[in-house]
Amino acid sequence: MLRKDLNLRSPIEKIMGIDNIAQSRFGAVLSRAGVGKTRFLVQIALTQLLDDKKIIHVSLDDSMGKINLRYNEGFTNLVDSIGYVDPQKAVRLWDDISLNKVGISYNDLTFDTDKLRDYLKSFKKAELPMPALMVIDGLNFDDDLTDILEKLQALNQEFAISIWFAMQTHRDEAPSEDGCPVQLETRKDMFDKALFLKPMDSRIQAVVLKDGSKTDQAFVLDPATMMLVEETV
Amino acid sequence: MIRDLKRVRNIGISAHIDSGKTTLSERILFYTQRIHKINEVRGKDGVGAVMDSMELERERGITIASAATYCEWKKHNINLIDTPGHVDFTVEVERSLRVLDGVVLILCSVAGVQSQSITVDQQMKRYEVPCIAFVNKCDRSGANPLKVAGQLKTKLGHNSVMMQLPIGLEDKHEGVIDLVAMKAYYFEGENGEHVTVKEIPEDLLNAARDARDELIDAASLFSEALTDAILEESDISEELVKTAVRTGVMTRQLTPVFLGSAYKNKAIQPLLDAVIDYLPSPLDIHNEAIDLDNNEESVALESDFDKPTVALAFKLEDGQYGQLTYLRVYQGCIAKGDTLVNSRDGKKVKAGRLIRMHASQMEEVEEIPAGHIGAMFGIDCASGDTFVTPTINYSMLAMHVMDPVISLSIVPKDNKAQINMSKALNRFTKEDPTFKTYVDHETGETIIQGMGELHLEVYVERMKREYKAEVTTGAPRVAYRETITQKALFNYTHKKQTGGAGQFGRVAGFVEPCDEDFEFVNKITGGRIPTQYIPACEKGFAGCMEKGPKLEFPVTGVRVTIDDGAFHAVDSSEMAFQAAARGAFLEGYMKAKPVIKEPIMKVVIETPNEFQGSCMGLINQRRGIIQGSQEEGVMSVIESQVPLSEMFGFSTVLRSATQGKAQFTMEFSSYKQVPQSIAEEIIKQKQEEKKA
Repeated sequence: MLRKDLNLRSPIEKIMGIDNIAQSRFGAVLSRAGVGKTRFLVQIALTQLLDDKKIIHVSLDDSMGKINLRYNEGFTNLVDSIGYVDPQKAVRLWDDISLNKVGISYNDLTFDTDKLRDYLKSFKKAELPMPALMVIDGLNFDDDLTDILEKLQALNQEFAISIWFAMQTHRDEAPSEDGCPVQLETRKDMFDKALFLKPMDSRIQAVVLKDGSKTDQAFVLDPATMMLVEETV
Repeated sequence: MIRDLKRVRNIGISAHIDSGKTTLSERILFYTQRIHKINEVRGKDGVGAVMDSMELERERGITIASAATYCEWKKHNINLIDTPGHVDFTVEVERSLRVLDGVVLILCSVAGVQSQSITVDQQMKRYEVPCIAFVNKCDRSGANPLKVAGQLKTKLGHNSVMMQLPIGLEDKHEGVIDLVAMKAYYFEGENGEHVTVKEIPEDLLNAARDARDELIDAASLFSEALTDAILEESDISEELVKTAVRTGVMTRQLTPVFLGSAYKNKAIQPLLDAVIDYLPSPLDIHNEAIDLDNNEESVALESDFDKPTVALAFKLEDGQYGQLTYLRVYQGCIAKGDTLVNSRDGKKVKAGRLIRMHASQMEEVEEIPAGHIGAMFGIDCASGDTFVTPTINYSMLAMHVMDPVISLSIVPKDNKAQINMSKALNRFTKEDPTFKTYVDHETGETIIQGMGELHLEVYVERMKREYKAEVTTGAPRVAYRETITQKALFNYTHKKQTGGAGQFGRVAGFVEPCDEDFEFVNKITGGRIPTQYIPACEKGFAGCMEKGPKLEFPVTGVRVTIDDGAFHAVDSSEMAFQAAARGAFLEGYMKAKPVIKEPIMKVVIETPNEFQGSCMGLINQRRGIIQGSQEEGVMSVIESQVPLSEMFGFSTVLRSATQGKAQFTMEFSSYKQVPQSIAEEIIKQKQEEKKA
């Protein structure tokens, strides 16, 4: 019951729809440094965890401990947004769902999709439920990532796992005519979902750049918790 | 033994397996002239290091038991305890830490802070043992002591500060720069015994100045005099810095980092100086006991030789002259012929031969004063016992000991082996509180229990080698538990009328899950069950916890509340209410949806990066849950939780999957419910065992 309540409170449910998230091939959360890409991706992953699915969080920046801390913080924010929740129930739920999360911290020089493939293959071999979602945080989209993205596309197809990326944009780069940052513009066809976070006064505006009929919708988030403040169309 | 306790240090050497603990201990003994020749741990000379006194340890290249030894350095008496590095033997580490005043934490300059360094660090925190760090193996390819010092901060949360800088690393490692004296130390001679002090090489001078500034900055937090000297820009004396660092170490708020290479004989002498300069003497440590005659109140112990004696037996060994009991004396003094009382059983003992140990050689002494570690012959006791002067009844605080998680049946090969086996088991259970043994009355087999496969394996080997007891072992068995998952009511009447006095008792209430192993709550009002029968009810329920009604595994996590009942003025008795409680438990338990729980182990694998994916796969195939993976240089660390039953033979599988390049550590984490499919298998297996 608590799982359902928490997912209903999730900003992801309001912005993109939880069922919609895991159906994607590639998704991206874009923003300048420090706005909250990783925290938003954590909220995306939490919706899947609360839906009793497995997720993998790959980071090229954060240590394993920091990844765990981010999830703990994201979960706490979600619980706090409900109001009163029996603390014991919340702890039990956290203990349950955190077992389905694997945080992998890579050095950006040694990041290798083959290691991920080996790992994913072992799920099939052991006849275990496959992870539904993989978050990849820390890839530099200013570089040529063709090779890596193609290999990840192959993983997406072979293991039916949707992959969400953090994509860093830059203040001094002008977006394309339709407001799309250059990092996404050049690879737009690979992604079927994308969301742009931009600071707006003391809040954050989340604009859907790509997601079928939801494209161009905008929402306002609280920067401290990444919870939805209001919806603006 | 020195009576000036300011010149005594009781220190341990703790670290991850293969970090070079035993090699370092060996070098310390060499430089302090306790031994005159260096043997390598797995040396070609076949002698092995002196600290590894057991044959088996030499063969495996691991240190199983803590060998205590003493040495002298610059008119100080250092009692040295070499602690085991494998997680299966952590009770040894814990016991050593209990009696130590300070620890040298050894870290490998290539592998850095490893999984067991974290375990050992937690144990040091638990016993509040101050420590200094030594980054060993600076001669190895890929050595990076500065990175390791950083990991002490990020991974263990230590406020680490470099006390030295390396002069060259890897095969160019020549010596160290002392940042307090601002001098360069080189180690010459065949065994590095000649320390040459020179000026700091020109190319390292700037780095040394920066590092010294950082050191003084960190140390200034612990000394007003040092802060004043910095603000006044006056000269900062060596003594001022040392005093500040020492204060930081004592309060566990600063960890000075030293470096070198024990194997290549580099920078061991400065480490010995550091032990004296920065680690506490017995006078600096606050120790407590509990007064058994005074409501178990805490009593502070003083290192005063004239006060009543309080000593803790922390290790037992079977020597050629009988049981050798290692003791730490906290208060008073044990002299030959003294009468002492073992506060556990109240038995009086007479102190016979007193010795201090140098690994397997011993030196007879007249007394062991407070603050010292020594050993005593001819006393029958268990590890953890407290010995006191007959006028007091103190006990040192109980040590944290975990329950065993794995068991193994052993059958002696012949009659002679049977006798030797019981001798060995008697000794081992006294030596090691995590090693337990009992006879299964149903099968007649002797069962040994411990903390892991390797733990039991080593004891079976020791039986063979030290006691000539050849035994065959059965398959390892996991210590399953039973528990309930929901609340259920019971209302049971025990009634028997078979001639003579009858039996009558009715007990009603409910069982429900709880976090404690067993809780009994009495909510009987109005004398429905007379007060004198309530303890009998509790005893009846508690007795049921030993063997669960579902599969005869021990039951845990049950709260029993009784709120109603009935008695008969003539036929009720304690026995009748005990029987009623047993019947009531059975009734409630089966309605409370009982389940089986299994031990889950925290498994940490360290593997070269290229095998990370396949190692994670191995965990997946074993019902394991991966908590995370982290790359550290060329190695990846994978943290996971895996059921113990899936871990048998894992070391072989891991070796073949990683060309022998990965290693893992395993320790008990918690008990968790067994999945339905596995539970069915266990039930089937149990039924087959019963039939057989």
